[in-house]
Amino acid sequence: MTGDRETLDVDVLIVGGGPAGLSAALRLAQLRAAGKTALNVAVLEKAREPGAHLLSGAVLDPRALAELIPDFESRGAPITCKVSEDRVLFLTRTGKIRFPFTPPPLNNHGHFIISVQQLGKWMSGLAEAEGIDIFPEFAAVELLMEGARVVGVRTGDRGIGKHGDRKPSFEPGVEIRAKVTILADGVRGNVTKTLMRRTSIAADAQPQVFALGIKELWEVPPGRLAAGAVVHTMGYPLDQRTFGGGFVYALSATQLSVGFVVGLDYEDPGFDPHEAFQKFKMHPAIRALLVGGEMIRYGAKALPEGGWHTLPHCSVDGAMVVGDAAGFLNSLRLKGIHLAMKTGMLAAETAFEALQAGDTSVKQLRTFDERMRGSWVGAEMRPVRNVHQSFRYGLFGGLAFSGLSLLTRGAWVRDPIPSEPGHVRMRRRIEGREPDAGDVEPDRMLTFDKVTNVHVSGTRHREDQPSHLLVHTEVCNTICGDEYGHPCVRFCPADVYEIVPGERGETRLQINASNCVHCKTCDIIDPYQVITWVPPEGGGGPRYEGM
Amino acid sequence: MKIAVCIRHVPTREWQPRVDDSGRALREQDASYEMNEPDAYALEEALRLREKHSGEVVVCTAGPSRAAQVLREALARGADRAIHVEDDRLVSISTDSFVVAGALADALRDERFDLLLTGLQSDDQGAAQTGVILAERLGLPHATIVMDVQVGDGALRVKRELEGGWFQWVALPLPALLTIQSGINQLRYATLKGIMAAKKKEIRKVTPASLAAPRLAIVTLDVPRKTKKTEIISGTPGDAATQLVRKLKEDARVLA
Repeated sequence: MTGDRETLDVDVLIVGGGPAGLSAALRLAQLRAAGKTALNVAVLEKAREPGAHLLSGAVLDPRALAELIPDFESRGAPITCKVSEDRVLFLTRTGKIRFPFTPPPLNNHGHFIISVQQLGKWMSGLAEAEGIDIFPEFAAVELLMEGARVVGVRTGDRGIGKHGDRKPSFEPGVEIRAKVTILADGVRGNVTKTLMRRTSIAADAQPQVFALGIKELWEVPPGRLAAGAVVHTMGYPLDQRTFGGGFVYALSATQLSVGFVVGLDYEDPGFDPHEAFQKFKMHPAIRALLVGGEMIRYGAKALPEGGWHTLPHCSVDGAMVVGDAAGFLNSLRLKGIHLAMKTGMLAAETAFEALQAGDTSVKQLRTFDERMRGSWVGAEMRPVRNVHQSFRYGLFGGLAFSGLSLLTRGAWVRDPIPSEPGHVRMRRRIEGREPDAGDVEPDRMLTFDKVTNVHVSGTRHREDQPSHLLVHTEVCNTICGDEYGHPCVRFCPADVYEIVPGERGETRLQINASNCVHCKTCDIIDPYQVITWVPPEGGGGPRYEGM
Repeated sequence: MKIAVCIRHVPTREWQPRVDDSGRALREQDASYEMNEPDAYALEEALRLREKHSGEVVVCTAGPSRAAQVLREALARGADRAIHVEDDRLVSISTDSFVVAGALADALRDERFDLLLTGLQSDDQGAAQTGVILAERLGLPHATIVMDVQVGDGALRVKRELEGGWFQWVALPLPALLTIQSGINQLRYATLKGIMAAKKKEIRKVTPASLAAPRLAIVTLDVPRKTKKTEIISGTPGDAATQLVRKLKEDARVLA
């Protein structure tokens, strides 16, 4: 099988062309130029073009960017909208209470409201101009290991039919072998997931806990919010036991980024994050900002909320893990792009020194973990190490802890506060109680059904290919209905999962894989852990222009 | 054989077009772009002809700087070199086929290609005129909606798609221009080595001295509104069927 495969040897392979991976690439290009050495660097990106699968709020702390590209403004960075005001609202069913002051972690003075898709696209252009090879439409499907050493990845075969048959256009995947592999495959990255399963890097870390972010881009009449306004909300429509909140960021006087984040450790299997987002938009305080406007794009993506205690050892023989893939996100500040970029840069520096020294074993690459802890990444993440975990005590418990932790620098009687994977917190459905999904009737003006939303996410997959969602459907067709009431049809924000009548009156799961927006929610929260997300054929997925 | 393939950078089909404030143009700033699909089949056909008869495949686009993307993609799939007729006025919807074909003709005339291929039509305007006008401007014979290309001694035999499942075989001398129908072949994927090799290939930029005045004026643009209505006909199967037939005849007018 490997005989007819193309192979490619590089010095550094970066898996994933997001902020972390592209920062690593750009830093390597800088070090290569300064050291006048030859070094070939390749970046794999599963999207049709770099940036197309990136989704974030996004408020950017420009700290890492300023370190990486000090003259970013004059080089045309798509970073122009400075944050002009911060508001934090507590929503009740129909009312709102504005926090009298902005909690310090949510003070965004000096930050920018950006489209992370635009940032990624711009950074990939810079990297290509520096001679970095960027390969869009190539998904890494397999981690290549020799013993304990990571030696590269294999990209997916292309031109495979629905039933696994080779079509005339069949093109086998490529083995890319690298001296150092930097895994920047994002939240719940499939390659990093494999690495965590095959090695013990995550053995002493707390299990990662995730959240799901759902977002729309809106064009609205001017006068709703000033350009640069940042609004965060807590409370309605979530109960106190469910972690999450809403946001509205004004990219300009007429363009709003509107979104909702829900912890993927909610308890009620009848809960539907997409529906919570609709209820959020229907709240008078939010409706007033949107009414008369037009929703122009949609997307969803999971984010790693667990923080410091969930970080794995980020280095093994021949590889490092950076950015969202490892869990570098500050859940108190609701930010991760700057941490992704900085960890990408530190991994690049570590890789460069290791290659110079001729030793890319874990002994050398382990200095990445030390650099990270010694840098402002450690200084920023350590003090908030228990924040997400504290929300297990409910919204007010979490808020109280978050406030106190600012005084104690994160120390607590129980440190770490214990944590478990989010999916185990989902409760069995209550007998006789139907899921409350469906009590929002989409009006297609303010509120939308999932299919309409997916339509404006730009999502496309080649239709004739095997499903990239591997599901042990015997669970779905037997016990899941009684035990959890098929939560997949609700937790998926893209209507991938449907329960349809079978031939003999039974129900069966239908997987609409081509709707998938690659958010990874199903891989994370399915209570039986029987769903595995693997990359579809390269190039498939959403197209998050402007998101 | 020296083959040219003309490729257009068009908004993706997933894009939801919105009319701008003038009511005569689309808001292109929020579009994302890709290779026009019929042009991808034209490129594939050119690559196959080169594999069979040797020679050179040159890809050409007329568009603003962003359009260089389709040239890089075509080079990655195996084209030998590229020509970019670059002008910011050559944007997707506000230039007509006459302007685009004129700009392409000026840039390609001196290259003296044996064969020029274009896609049958573009995914954005769908006028199916660029190839035909280009042939006229270069003084070449052309055939449209081509489903099969056979190269003989200084001449071509091509199969054209007609309506109603009919085909037509046409012979024409070289040099000539063909507009290629989607589905004529199986598209290939760009390979890693192809993408790397593409970086070393030439993209020659040509700035048109002048652009022709458009022959078409857009008076007004409108996004089709959804008027789909679902009606449930109740009653006994017999009555419902009678009613349905009446509605299909009188309201929908799909039955005579």
